Formats: sequence, C-alpha cells, structure tokens
Amino acid sequence: MPKNKRFGIRSKIIYGNLIVIFCFIISIIMINYQISSLQKERNYIIKHDMSILELSNQMEKHVLDMETSQWDYIITGKEDYLLPYKDAETKWKDEYNQLYNLLSDNPNQQKKLMTIKETIEHWIQTAGDPTVQWKRENKTQDLNNFFKTDIGQKDMDTIRTLFETFRTTEKSFTNNLAQRLDKQNSMLTLSLFGIAILLAAISISSALVVSKSIVNTINEVTQTIMQMVTSRGKIEKRIVIKSNDEIKDLGNATNTLIDVFTQRQWLQSNIAELVTMYQGISSLEKITKKFLSGISQVTGASFGALYLREQNNQMIEYVKKAIYADPEDDIGIKSFTLGQGLIGQCAAEKSILINNNIPNDYRLISSALGEIKPNSILIAPIIFEGETIAVIELASLNEFTDLQQILMEEVLNTFGLTLNSVLGRMEIERLLKKSQAMTEELQAQAEDLQTQSVELNMQSEELRMINEQLEERTQEAEERARELEYAKAELEEKARQLALSSKYKSEFMANMSHELRTPLNSILLLSEMLTENSDQTLSEETVEYARVIHSSGKDLLMLINDILDLSKVEAGKLEMTFAEVSLNELPSQLEANFSPIAKQKELDFTIMKEANVPDIFYTDEQRFQQIIKNLLSNALKFTESGSVSLIIRKVEDKLAQRWFQMKEAEYWLEISVQDTGIGIPKAKQTLIFEAFQQANGATERKYGGTGLGLSICKEFAKLLGGRIVLKSEEGVGSTFTLYLPSLPNGIHHVKEADTYEEIVATIQYEDEMAMEEEINEVENAHSRIVTLENNVFSNKNVLIVDDDRRNIFTLEKAIKKEGMNVFTANNGIECLKILEEHPNFDIVLMDIMMPEMDGYETMKNIRKIKKFESLPIIALTAKAMKNDREKCLEAGASDYISKPVELTQLLSAMRVWLTR
Amino acid sequence: MDPYEVNEHEIELDETKNLEIDLLLQGIYQLSGYDFRQYMRSSIWRRIKNRMRVEKVPTVTRLLEKVIHEPAFIKVLLDDFSINVTEMFRDPHFFYSFRTKVVPLLKDLPEIRIWHAGCSTGEEVFSMAILLHEENLLEKAKIYGTDMNENILEKAKHGMFPLGKMQNYTKNYLKSGGTHSFSEYYTTDHKYAHFHSALKKNIIFFQHNLVTDRSFNEFHVIICRNVLIYFNTNLQQQVHELFYESLCPNGFLALGDKETIRFVTRADSYIEFDAAEQIYRKV
Repeated sequence: MPKNKRFGIRSKIIYGNLIVIFCFIISIIMINYQISSLQKERNYIIKHDMSILELSNQMEKHVLDMETSQWDYIITGKEDYLLPYKDAETKWKDEYNQLYNLLSDNPNQQKKLMTIKETIEHWIQTAGDPTVQWKRENKTQDLNNFFKTDIGQKDMDTIRTLFETFRTTEKSFTNNLAQRLDKQNSMLTLSLFGIAILLAAISISSALVVSKSIVNTINEVTQTIMQMVTSRGKIEKRIVIKSNDEIKDLGNATNTLIDVFTQRQWLQSNIAELVTMYQGISSLEKITKKFLSGISQVTGASFGALYLREQNNQMIEYVKKAIYADPEDDIGIKSFTLGQGLIGQCAAEKSILINNNIPNDYRLISSALGEIKPNSILIAPIIFEGETIAVIELASLNEFTDLQQILMEEVLNTFGLTLNSVLGRMEIERLLKKSQAMTEELQAQAEDLQTQSVELNMQSEELRMINEQLEERTQEAEERARELEYAKAELEEKARQLALSSKYKSEFMANMSHELRTPLNSILLLSEMLTENSDQTLSEETVEYARVIHSSGKDLLMLINDILDLSKVEAGKLEMTFAEVSLNELPSQLEANFSPIAKQKELDFTIMKEANVPDIFYTDEQRFQQIIKNLLSNALKFTESGSVSLIIRKVEDKLAQRWFQMKEAEYWLEISVQDTGIGIPKAKQTLIFEAFQQANGATERKYGGTGLGLSICKEFAKLLGGRIVLKSEEGVGSTFTLYLPSLPNGIHHVKEADTYEEIVATIQYEDEMAMEEEINEVENAHSRIVTLENNVFSNKNVLIVDDDRRNIFTLEKAIKKEGMNVFTANNGIECLKILEEHPNFDIVLMDIMMPEMDGYETMKNIRKIKKFESLPIIALTAKAMKNDREKCLEAGASDYISKPVELTQLLSAMRVWLTR
Repeated sequence: MDPYEVNEHEIELDETKNLEIDLLLQGIYQLSGYDFRQYMRSSIWRRIKNRMRVEKVPTVTRLLEKVIHEPAFIKVLLDDFSINVTEMFRDPHFFYSFRTKVVPLLKDLPEIRIWHAGCSTGEEVFSMAILLHEENLLEKAKIYGTDMNENILEKAKHGMFPLGKMQNYTKNYLKSGGTHSFSEYYTTDHKYAHFHSALKKNIIFFQHNLVTDRSFNEFHVIICRNVLIYFNTNLQQQVHELFYESLCPNGFLALGDKETIRFVTRADSYIEFDAAEQIYRKV
C-alpha cells in the first residue's frame, strides 16, 4: 500500500485558517497602500494648493504694500515711509519664484503668473519708481502730471483681476482634485467590501472542504458501525478510508475491533456449537468421537486422535479412545504414559504444543487420490482440576492459527469438565448396574429362600405328624437299642479277639515262612542232587521219586511264597513286572502241567484258544501264570467227575470299552476255567475270595489246601488291571473267568504331571554367556509388547529371595528389563532385613529351598508383620507336588509357580498381583 | 439418577400392574420368543421398575408400546432381565467338593459331558476346564456353556477376564484345591488375563434358553448355579424335568449353595450326593 502523505485534521484546520489569515494580510496591505496614496494626495492638495493661494495672496499683499508705501512717501515725503516699499519689492520676487516653481506642473497658471509679474514690473517701472524719484527730486509737476493721468492705477487694477482669475483657476484645480479624491475614496470603500466578501468566501470554502473530509469519513465509520449493530450474522464489511488522517486511524482501529469481534464471534459460535454438540451424550465412545470430529472440522485438521487417561495400579496411562478421518484403526500408538514422546510431554506439561516441523516419517494423510504429509500437528491436553485427563492430537495440511489455538483452549476447558462428568456418570452407571445385578441376585436368592421357607412350613406340619408316629416307634427302638448295645459289646469283644488273631496270623505267617524255608531248602537241594543221579547208583524209579520230591518241594516253596505274596499284596508292597508273554505257548505249557492230574482223576481236560487271540500279551508272566494255574488246580481239585476246560478268548473291543474303560489297555483277554465240580453256594460266592476261606470247613478236610489260592488270584488280577468273575451253581459246576488287559506300558499308579502345550523354558544356565544370550532372546520377544502396552511394571519394587546366584541373576535381568526395581536377598534372614529397611516393596518372589531360613519360614515371618499382611508373595517351588503347594499357601504365599520358571508365566502372574 | 427416587417410587404390585406385566411379557414372548412369563414376578417387577425409571415412563404399558414399535427396545429389556453375576471358582468349596468327590466317579468314563446351564460370561466354564485339565480329564471332556443372552456368550467366548479380578480368582482357585500354578493358564496384557486357548478346545458355547428350548444331549454333569432362583415354582419344575431328561443315569446335578431340590417333584429321582454343596446324583 503506497503511503500517502499524512494530512491530519489539525493541519487541515491550521492550513485553512492560514489561508484566511494570508488573504486578510494581503487585503490589509492593499488597503493600507490605498489609504496612504490618498493621504499623499490630500497632503499634496493641502500643502501645494494652500501655499499657492498663500503665496499669491502674499504677492498681492506686497504689491499692495508697495503701492501704499509709494503713496505714503509721496504724500509725506518721509524716507521712513519708503522702507516697506523697498522691502515688498524684494519679497514679491521671491514669492513669485516660489510660486512659479510650485506651478511647474501647470504651465497655464505659470503663464498667468508671468502676466501678473509683467504687469507688476510694468507698474514698478512706470508708476512706482518714477514717482518715488520724482518726489525725491521734488518734481511735483511730474508728480501732478503723473497723477493726472494715473497710469499706475490701471496696472494695479489689472494686477488685482489677474490675481483674482489666478486664484479661481487654482481653486477650481483644487476642487477637481478634491473631487478625484472623493471618487478614489468611494473606490476604496467598494474594494474593501469586495475583499471582505472574497475573504468570507475563501474561509467558508476552506472550512467546508476540511469539515467535509472529516465528517464524511466519520459518517462512513458511523454507518458501518450501525450496519454491524443491525446485522446479526457475520460482518463481512470493513471501513474503507481514502484519507490519511486520525479518522483513518479511527477506521483502522474500528476495523481491528471488528476483526477481533468477528473472531470472538467465530470463537463463541464454534465453542457454543461444539459444547452443544456433546451435551447429553453419556457414552464415552460417542462423546470422544463426536468431539474429535467436531474439533477436527472446525480446525480443518485432516486426522486426529484422542487419548484418555486411565489409572491402572497407580500407573497413569493414556489410551486411545477415538480417531478422526483414519481409514484403518492403526493410527499412532495405542497408549502412552506421561512424558513419553511429544504427546506424553504435552500431557505432562499441560500446555498446548504446536509443531510445524513434521519429521519425514510422520504418518501420511491419505485421501482418495493419494497420501500427503501433514504440515502441522497440534497436541493439546484436556485438563480438569489441574490434571491432564485426556490428550488430543490433530494433524493438518495447513498450519494451525492462533485463533484455532485459542478455540482449542476454550473448548478443551469446557470439554474437560464435560468429559469428567461423563466419566463420572459412566462410573456411577457401571457401579449402579453392578450393584443392581448383585442386589438382584441377592433378592432373588432371598425370595427363593422365602418360597422355600413357605414350603418348609408346610412340610414341617407334615413332619410333625410323622414325628408323633416316630415317637411310638422310638420306644420300640429303645428296647432294641438296649439289645443292640449288648450285642455290640459282644461284637467288640470279638473284634478284639479278631485283631489279636490277625496279629497272630501275621506273626505266624512270618514265622512259618521262615521256619519252613530252612528245611525246605535242604529238601530241594538234596532231592535235586538225587535226581541228577551222578553216581548212577539209583534206579530209574528212585530218580522219579526224587524228582517228585523236588517238584513238590518247589510247589511248597511256591505256596510259602504265595503266603508271603498275599501278605505283601495286603500290605501293598507287591510290584508287577510287565513284559511280553507268548500266548501260543501257554496251552501246551498248561497241558503239560495239568493233563497228568486230569488223567489221574479221569477227567476230560481241554484247552481252547480262539483264533483271533493275538500271540503277544503284555502282563506280568509269573503272576499271570500263577492265576491260571491256581484256577486250574482248584478246578481239578474240586471236580470228581466230568470235565475241566480252559478257554482263551479276546474280548471284543466294543465290549471291552463299555465294561472296562481303561485307556492304556491294548486289548482284553478273557480266560475261563470251567468245571463240573461241586460248585459254590450263592452265599459263599463272595466269601471264597477272602483269604483263608473255603466254602465250608468240611471241604478243607476233604480237599486240603490253604484257601489262599483264590484270594491271591483276585489280588493278582486286580494288580494286573483285571478282575475275576465267578459263575457257579452248587452241584453243577463253576466257571471262573479272568479278564486281563494287555498293558504294554504297565499300569500307572503314580499320576504323571501333564506337560502343558507351551514350551517350558528352563531358566538355569551353565555359564553366564549362555545366560545373556537367552535373556536377550526373551527380551527381544517381549520388548515389542512391553513398549506398546502400558507398563504395569515400571518403577515397581521387586524383592527376589533365592540362594542360587544364577537364578537371581537370570530373574533380575528379565525383571529389570520390564522397568522394575530389583532387590535381592540370598536367604530368609536377609529378606526380612531388607523388608524392614525398605518397607515399600510391591511384590516378593520367594524361593523355597534355602539355607538358614527357608521360604516357608520366611513367609510365615513376613505375614506376622502387620503391614506385610497383604504384600503379594509369589512362591517359586521346585516341584508342583501337592504337599509343596499346600505348605506354601499355609505359610502365606499369595500365589505359587513351579520351577523351572517360565518367564511369560511369571510376568503374567506378577501383572495380576501388581494390579490394584 | 437419584437414589432416593427408588424409595419414593416403590410401587407395589397390584392387579393392574400384574395385568400390564402379563401383557408386556406376552408381547416380548410373541415378538422375540424369549419367555419371561414364568420368571419370579418380584424380580421381573424390579427390573421393569428400573427400566421405567430410566426411560421415564409412568406405566408398564408404555414399555409394551416401545417393545411393539421400537424393534431395538426388546434387546434392552432382554439385557435387563438377564442377570450376570459370576466369578471363577465361585464358592471354591463347591469346586473342591466336585474335584474330590465327583471327579473320581467320572474318571473311568470314556467321555465326560458337562453342561453349564446359564453360564453367563463363562467364568465357571473356564474354571471347570482348568479343574478337569488338572485331573487329566479335559481331553475326554466336552463342556457345554449355554446362556439365553447371546451378547454375554460373545464375551464368554473370548476367555479373557479383567486383571483386577484375577487376585480374587487366584485365591478361589487355590481354595478350590487347584494343583498347579494358576498362572500356568493365562497370559496377561495391561488390562486382561487371556486364558490359554487349549482350555477352550473342549468348550462349546451356544445360546440355549432353559425356558423354551429342549434337551440337546445327555450329560454326566449339569451345573446350574443360581439360575433357578429367578424362576417360579412351576418353571423350576419344568426346568428340573429338562435336567432330568438330559442327565445320564448316575449323572450329577449341581445347584447354587442357597438352592435346593427338595421341593421339586423330581427330588425323588435324585439322592443327595453332597448336601452342603447342593450336588445331587440321579438314581
């Protein structure tokens, strides 16, 4: 804008007045000049004309004096009287010269004057001087002659008339001059009026010009302001001033005022719009999203994100709640903490941050046609009661203006309030809902109880009736009870006896087995030697006897072993050895063993093996054969006539599944021993499996035997995972069926700890190098997660109690990496000492096996201290044995983890116990 | 909402109200298939009162109007009527009893089917999975978690629970006789504990309404704790009938600690297995 030369109102007024003053001075000078010229002329008239008149009068007087004096002298003749004559004669010439000079500008008058002079000189020559001369010479005649003619008188008269005409002419001149002066005077008066009028015109016009230039702009300003007053909407118009003066200043100031006013109006309307926009919304998602999109639109931002403060276990983090104009939900970080990055800094400082120097790798704004780098980002905290409760970040293609920044500040102030109230409302709603739900459940429970009690009332009535009936019976029962008491006493006595006899039995068995073995050993050894017949001194028959002795001895030994077995079984001390058994060989073996006896008793003895029975069967061979042999020998023993048969079958898989439900079993075998013997009465069928029992005492005498066989069979079958089923009819025969599973892997009595699907990383290393590497790997795997998510761990104090330096080292490394402060103690005593010195620990990791004071002891001691009652303690136990676990909990552990410690598991558990 | 308002507006049920509620529940049933007609009147009335207060309507019939004319409103009422209170290993002594007394009887079964009726957000279902895992039975078990509220089931399927509750859950777990470390079963982020998906392998969540839907399998165990208390006697009878049908012979039925089977006609078909924990066994 070209800068006009400044021409202010003051100078305008001054210049206008100066013009007037200038004109005024000029006119005064002019008038003065006129007046002085008039004066001159008047003086001239006064001086010149008056002196002319005076001089002419003087001349005339002197002439007259000369005549008078002439006359006097003539009359008197005295010389004294001639003096005036002489005097006047000189004087009039002077006066004539003067007059002549004065009349230099008037030749006519000069001529007249010369005529007068000539006439005077003529008088003097003709009349004056001669007469005087005559007198002196006393020429009275001449005098008389002269006076007779008197020519002097004639000259005198001429002089007088000449003077008269001279004077009238002169007077007329003066009159003329006076008339001219009068004219000039009136001209002067006229010009005075003219000047006055002109001056007035100039003053008025200059006043008009100045006032107009002032008033016009003022009017314009007033008009614009009036327009603003009347217009309610936007004021687009601005005051335009061409002049360069104070009014322009005023106009400019007014324009600035309007600009500010418009900005303020813009601010207010936008603030109002934004504020009304999120009123009445109670959902956090909605309000943040709406607010973000609102503020983004107002500020022209291309995308934005809003982070809301969340407090998690004294850990303040800001979590992304809303985004604007972002095509996928991947904008920026999910959360951050105070002071983390620019945005965290902003949250910490609680002031708006505008950055126009966007780094090159900053996220691009994508539009339909491509991606553009934003020009400016704005990060603003939303503050409530001095705390940053949320942070908003906007990115724009244009730079953010001051006005937008002010808008942000204003809006964020009220938004902070609203946000806080929404959060509060949501929290209240959540709590209300929760409490309602809980109340509801309680009430429903209460009501249910009430209905129950109503029904209970009805039932109690019923019960009362029943009670009465019962009372009658009670009396009967009491009598019975007395009898029973008596019986009970008897029974107790018997039980005592039984216990005693059981004791005797055990002692007997132990003694017997020992006492019997010693002689039996000699029998076996010697009979074997005899069988060998090394001397060849014995007959064939004798050798056969010896062989029988030896085999019977062996049987006896077996029997003794049976007894021992049974007691072992009963004591649970017998161990099974599962191995491959060939079923193909079994029938021939049994045939060889038992057919002689069968033949002897003239019994049919058949062994059948079905075709689908596999050859290989996994079980404990010795016990398996023992069972079959027992069953067979029993069958043969108790069968007088008829047949004994043994059938080997494979149980169908389906049936096996339904009956046995044993997962480990490869397949099941069914071995039935059928006889046509004496059979077993129903009542005794369960009894015969008990030790030292036979169907009745008579059988014992008749058939012999210890009665141990079946009970051993039953116990063995059980140990091998199977069972024995008996079907029998007295006098018809019995069938003992043995069901046994094939168990390639044996039976697992001890449950093995299941391995979890996750790979367990043992944190125990041989040397520190290996340790470092491993930790780095683990750290790398976790570092991403740790940086992204909010860190619950940062600045938490952890105490690791462990006596193994390597364990401490490993744990310390890993935990420190999570941002926790790690303290270590090598045993329980140290641990207590450290806790005493630094009571502000957040969690303790406690090893159990330690010298001096172990983990259990230490935890018990910690819990005794009141302030540590709820301190989270995670026990690290060597084995997840049930006992271990319970001892830990009893000692006061909050949680426990079994070694080897898996890092993610440990951190997960720590996160749980660090959450408040 | 003014908490005192509750007292001021404590409107008692009268004949008109009952009629209105009848109509409302009838409407909901016909429009959505959800049948609340046999829920405990008092409980339903409390839920309706809450809703009336929130919606600022003076009568139950106004709610019916909304139900009929605003399709989305039914969902709101459904959420109101479904009450979801649960936690992991809730009443740990129940789980302890289950582990020590019921589990040994399930061990030899070739397959174990367990039904959590009204499982809510699935905490108990996951607890059961953990228990079975520790007893080496999870592989052959199928756990069915059902609820009438589909939204809730969606939550249950995630198997993630807020960190803030985990300390309590850990305590419950330990009291319930857990044999491992509880932390073996989850990993955490800054907000939730995510339970391992291996646990979910044998869990099936689906929508099932005890009031209207029928039996869908035969189970060895049915767990339905603190659900029947919302039903009236008649409906309780009906649901017990459903449970009876759905149980294997010798199957177990577990109820909430304040519930009892005593007044149901089906009571004769069960023996008290653990009276203190409300575990019954079908005869």
